[in-house]
Amino acid sequence: MIVRALPPLAFGLALIVAWQVLVVLAHIPEYLLPSPTAIFATVDRSLVMQFGVTFAEAVIGFIIASVLAFAIATLFVRFHTLEEGLFPIAIAVKTTPIVAIAPLLVIWLGTGWWSKIAAAILICFFPVLVNTVKGLKAADVEYRELFETLGASSGQEFRKLRVPYCLPYLFSALKISSSLAVVGAIVGEFVGATQGLGYLIIISSAHLETATLFSAIIAAAFAGIAMFYAIGFAERRLIFWSSGGAE
Amino acid sequence: MNAIVRDASARAERLGGAPIASPMPILSIAELSVRFGSIAAIEALSLSIRRGEFVSLLGPSGCGKSTLLKAIAGLVQPSGGRIDRPYADLRSSFMFQKPLLLPWRTALGNVLLPVEIQRGGNAVDSSDQRNAERMLDLVQLGDFASAYPQQLSGGMQQRVALARALMSDPDILLLDEPFGALDELTREVLNEELIRIWQSRETRLSTVLMVTHSIPEAVAMSDRVVVLSNRPAGLVEDIAVGGARPRTLEEPGCAAVIRHIRELVRRRA
Repeated sequence: MIVRALPPLAFGLALIVAWQVLVVLAHIPEYLLPSPTAIFATVDRSLVMQFGVTFAEAVIGFIIASVLAFAIATLFVRFHTLEEGLFPIAIAVKTTPIVAIAPLLVIWLGTGWWSKIAAAILICFFPVLVNTVKGLKAADVEYRELFETLGASSGQEFRKLRVPYCLPYLFSALKISSSLAVVGAIVGEFVGATQGLGYLIIISSAHLETATLFSAIIAAAFAGIAMFYAIGFAERRLIFWSSGGAE
Repeated sequence: MNAIVRDASARAERLGGAPIASPMPILSIAELSVRFGSIAAIEALSLSIRRGEFVSLLGPSGCGKSTLLKAIAGLVQPSGGRIDRPYADLRSSFMFQKPLLLPWRTALGNVLLPVEIQRGGNAVDSSDQRNAERMLDLVQLGDFASAYPQQLSGGMQQRVALARALMSDPDILLLDEPFGALDELTREVLNEELIRIWQSRETRLSTVLMVTHSIPEAVAMSDRVVVLSNRPAGLVEDIAVGGARPRTLEEPGCAAVIRHIRELVRRRA
């Protein structure tokens, strides 16, 4: 594990050093490309706070979306008519760009937390819904026949067969939507906010504070990576029987 | 009370290691037909299975013999005829060609599945636990209770599936080419195990109905070999095989029966 992490760490460090040397030797102005040390100097409590706001919005939206999507997927699998009627609508909403919807969310929900959480929910919801529906149907006919011969009720079949069978599908969707959640929250902040990394990005770019802009971008990337790895860690713990073959 | 008496008599029948079939049928199939759309899988098939018998259903792949077994298990609805089970309290278990173990459960957890489902909730008590361990012992996997399916070989997985099928303490075991996906050697060993378990008094199991497409396997194991015709499945011949088990195919009786069945099948191919 540590040995595997060494090459990317070494290359990353080399890249940062090269960047620093380039900026200093070529006298590149800070508003165009700040040096790594200049970027590091902008890391303060305020940045950490803005990070916290965006991260919290993303996490809350991600959790609400995941629970909601799983519940609706369950209904879709149980009641086929519901799936037939609502799935096309779900896909229509999914293909609408989140950037186009975000202003509407701010009008409806205000410039506070909820418009950002809603944007995160919208963007996380569909990957989880689609994959959960697929996963809940993935158990082989023969497994279902086995449960039938054992006299299992449909609830028992659902809990003891379909849900565990679906977990690999669910988790590959969660990994995708966990990083998308950060995108949703930041897009929401772009449109109208008084705090958060999206707000910081808009403000610092308007004032040409490029070093702050860089640290906000890096913080945003870090938020997405942190969520992705947290889900990946849970996945490896929970789904020990599958090597993540499902997509 | 009845069940206990019958149980005792079934045990008594098995003295000497070779179960003797009692005359009363525990399963009678009359003029059974099964259709899938316009395709007839089974046509007017009649067959009766007596208690204590080991019966093989023999036929080419895709002839409808699995469909017959599934109809008996209630997995497939007949489109005509009847399947009667005079003794409603007799339990049956179905075993599939694939092990169908749940990969997130240990061997023991898989064996416990039928009891969990029977009990409704997850309330499996320590006697169930002991019972499941006993079943694993019976299939000689006592040391692998906490192993996960993917850590077991194909033959071991099928042993776990057998233990799971025995967990509900069935009278009748319905086997759909149970070891068909295994290699020849493993298959032979497991066939012998199956005979041993059928003969042993550790379980209630008295009657076995097994689908196979191997003539030697059917002849070596069964009291009766029921030869089925190709789709739609119908009865070609019902052949009694004598002799105590374990049998070797070199025995003159067996060899003659095998030759006879080969001729039957060839004439129809």
